[in-house]
Amino acid sequence: MQSALLDQVRGIVGSEYVLTGVALSPYVLEGRTPGAAVFPGSVEEVGALLALASEEGIAVTPWGGGTKIAVGAPPKRLELVLGLRRLNRLLEHEPGDLTATAQGGITLDALESQLASRGQWLSLDPPFGEQATLGGILATNASGPRRHLYGTARDLLIGVMVVAADGSLVKGGGKVVKNVAGYDLPKLYIGSFGTLGVIVEATLKLRPLPDDDRLVVTSFERLKDCGQAVRLVLGSDLIPSAVDLLDGEALRGLGLADGGSAGGALLLGFDGMREQVEWQCEEAKRLLAGAVAQRVLEGGQRDSAWRLVREVGRRAFPDPAAQLRLAVLPTQVTEVIEQAGAVAQRSGLRAAFAAHAAVGIVTAVLAGGRDSAQPVIAALREWRELVRAAGGHAVLERAPLAVKEQVAVWDPPGPALRIMERIKTQLDPKGILNPGRFVGGI
Amino acid sequence: MATLTESRKQSLRRALEAIVGKSAVLSDREELMVYESDGLTLFRALADFVAFPTSTEQVSALVKLASQEGLPFVARGAGTGLSGGCLPSEGGLVIALSRMTRILEVDYDNHLAVVEPGLVNLHLSWAVGPRGFYYAPDPSSQQACTIGGNIANNSGGPHTLKYGVTTNHVLGLEVVLPDGEVVWLGAKTREPQGYDLTGIFVGSEGTFGIATKIVVRLLRKPQAVKTVLAVFDEINRASEAVSAIIARGLVPAALEMIDQVTIQAVEDAFGCGYPRDAAAALLIELDGLAAGMEAQAAGVVAACMEAGAREVRTAKDEAERQLLWKGRKSAFGSYGRVSPAYMVMDGVIPRTKLPYVLRRVNEIVAAHGLRVGNVFHAGDGNLHPNILYDPRRPGEEARVVQAGAEILKVCAEVGGSISGEHGIGLEKMDYMPFIFSPADLATMHRVKEAFNPRGLCNPGKIFPTKKSCVEVGPGYRPHPIEEKGLAQRF
Repeated sequence: MQSALLDQVRGIVGSEYVLTGVALSPYVLEGRTPGAAVFPGSVEEVGALLALASEEGIAVTPWGGGTKIAVGAPPKRLELVLGLRRLNRLLEHEPGDLTATAQGGITLDALESQLASRGQWLSLDPPFGEQATLGGILATNASGPRRHLYGTARDLLIGVMVVAADGSLVKGGGKVVKNVAGYDLPKLYIGSFGTLGVIVEATLKLRPLPDDDRLVVTSFERLKDCGQAVRLVLGSDLIPSAVDLLDGEALRGLGLADGGSAGGALLLGFDGMREQVEWQCEEAKRLLAGAVAQRVLEGGQRDSAWRLVREVGRRAFPDPAAQLRLAVLPTQVTEVIEQAGAVAQRSGLRAAFAAHAAVGIVTAVLAGGRDSAQPVIAALREWRELVRAAGGHAVLERAPLAVKEQVAVWDPPGPALRIMERIKTQLDPKGILNPGRFVGGI
Repeated sequence: MATLTESRKQSLRRALEAIVGKSAVLSDREELMVYESDGLTLFRALADFVAFPTSTEQVSALVKLASQEGLPFVARGAGTGLSGGCLPSEGGLVIALSRMTRILEVDYDNHLAVVEPGLVNLHLSWAVGPRGFYYAPDPSSQQACTIGGNIANNSGGPHTLKYGVTTNHVLGLEVVLPDGEVVWLGAKTREPQGYDLTGIFVGSEGTFGIATKIVVRLLRKPQAVKTVLAVFDEINRASEAVSAIIARGLVPAALEMIDQVTIQAVEDAFGCGYPRDAAAALLIELDGLAAGMEAQAAGVVAACMEAGAREVRTAKDEAERQLLWKGRKSAFGSYGRVSPAYMVMDGVIPRTKLPYVLRRVNEIVAAHGLRVGNVFHAGDGNLHPNILYDPRRPGEEARVVQAGAEILKVCAEVGGSISGEHGIGLEKMDYMPFIFSPADLATMHRVKEAFNPRGLCNPGKIFPTKKSCVEVGPGYRPHPIEEKGLAQRF
């Protein structure tokens, strides 16, 4: 980056908040080093930076906690990393309204601990909450096990403040829980991976903290039995907040196995009033009587088990080679896992699977193939093919550059891409926001 | 928009008939008049044609024709909307979806259904009810309104407090874009890749295209339901009870408020057993697990009593529950007993601002020499002040519109919104700047450009425009089913 430009950037935020040279090593992406990383301290500074970038045609990569920065195609251009971590305040929390407004750079854990002090929580539980920022969670549509009952960002975000590509401040939605005035812009920014604007503020719906919260882990001999158990649970009166499924490899990799031989386990989260949680745990025991083992976890044990499950991509194997997130119909989950497992085995690789079973979202982790990328590439291609055959879709969430060059990160987007491209052109006409990383090369 | 010449009208009619058949095109003035308004009869606009397609292919062909001919077009469901959103405000073609009413697929194992846009909302719940399922969004017009119309308006209903609005229950859409191309947005599976086009399409008030297939989530019916009526001598105490319930960590499925004007109208009309002398009543419904239900109900009762309720009743059986709900659901039909006409507002406020805003609503309406009845979704702060008036009195309708604007201004000032579930349509275009800056509106406009660059798809809505040839006034005529108390407008 030209030094005159860098001086302008320093002039906006102050030189102590601009990193260059060797200090940029944490911001190397797909082997590329940006020209600078800048950490604005206010929404106005974000606006001034984007106005400058827009004028000069500099590519801007928004960066929250970096927990999902690996998701995406290699960038077309990596010039200015825009770190949001200084915009880290909870701005408003009115418990009576069950809403809160916070800045985009606040970490999830920091937000939750402030909300919890007044008896409420934001019902999103993606991995790495100590590092993941609110803006990043929204921009990547990150979620966790409790999405089963409480939904994802699109169900909770009611208002958003974004700095647009030209530096102007744009608001979508509002601060009330029900609102149909104008287009639902917050939906557009969720999962847009920073390609339409930089999320600087968000207003979200909250829930009261539950009195009680337990995790029922039920292990089965075969993965198929887990699938059957999911069907039983969904056909019952139970209202679990989470319905996750682990295959045998994931179960052992995470150290959650009860015995050596389990083919898989069903993890049910129950939260609410004590009376409700107790009844549900009993009912789950009755319903899943054919299991190999069942444990009810509370407190710290519960929290650490959930943490392992959420972080399965990094914890199932000491040295994972790639991670695919796939979406299929809930009834297809166990079959797809079995087929994908067989593919890995044939390629001489190991695979572990964790699913939000009742919504059909599976994280598939691949390990092995240290000597050559070829088996990993071949297995990923086959996985993608079998997901497509099942009518689903897949994102290559993590893989070395050598693999990404051979296996597409996103699926071919289909005819709706035309509309997506037009939205991108309308909102970022110069193409400066995170160029090239998103679906269809957006 | 210029009137079509007779010869052009003839040739367009033939072209439309070639697509949908002779019996599925209207072009006589008398027949077109049926489609000149929606549930907000303040506005009227006459189409040149109404066509009734029966398939995606026909919708696509109609849209392609309109696009080639430069003819504005707008989709219409049951016409129960309350903001003039489906009016042909620049003439042209109304694409009426009332013959596309099929349930194409129900997948009980995956808790989803695929339906056509003209399907009546309640008919879906009826169809899946025997298997223990239902479709959660329940606008009060659900006996008549269509799921396609719900998509356009992102409709809510009493039970959205716990279960969310339409957008939270739609997974994917087959859409005919404004140039006639058919595309899928979203899918049966979660997390479709790319921008959430389903999310932005829902609530776009028919300006992004026409949904021809809709994938919705189905929910299992709750194990237990408990319905409570709390009666108050002061409306402020009822408002405080709303906050007190939330403060106890309870999230009811529904939390509705009904004021004295409305209670009296309802009792005159239907006799649902609400006390006539009460200043306000709260109708509170809890649902979910049977375990803990008694304790939750006790929490609701205690919160109401502490806030100063005069009386709290719990429905003993389903019949009593239905009777309590009848009072709420027939409120709008019953205004006919006390006023020749009314206009309903749809502002939203943070629920903690209820006492202040309700007081301001009454002051504003009184200052204009009018009366108001309030019946609304208190739990989500979605107000429905119904301004009562007589359209035959000169100038009264103009005062109603003025009072309405002032009420929405107050909602905006306390951090709220000008519409919670009825949409902007024609009615509230000019009020958008109450809550959105020029940059906000410009961004929305750019998104519209992406979907609808030529502006032929439902023109003249949401954003202010000068091109409209809409007639305004005189007042509201209730639908026959409203008069009978069978359904209401929101």
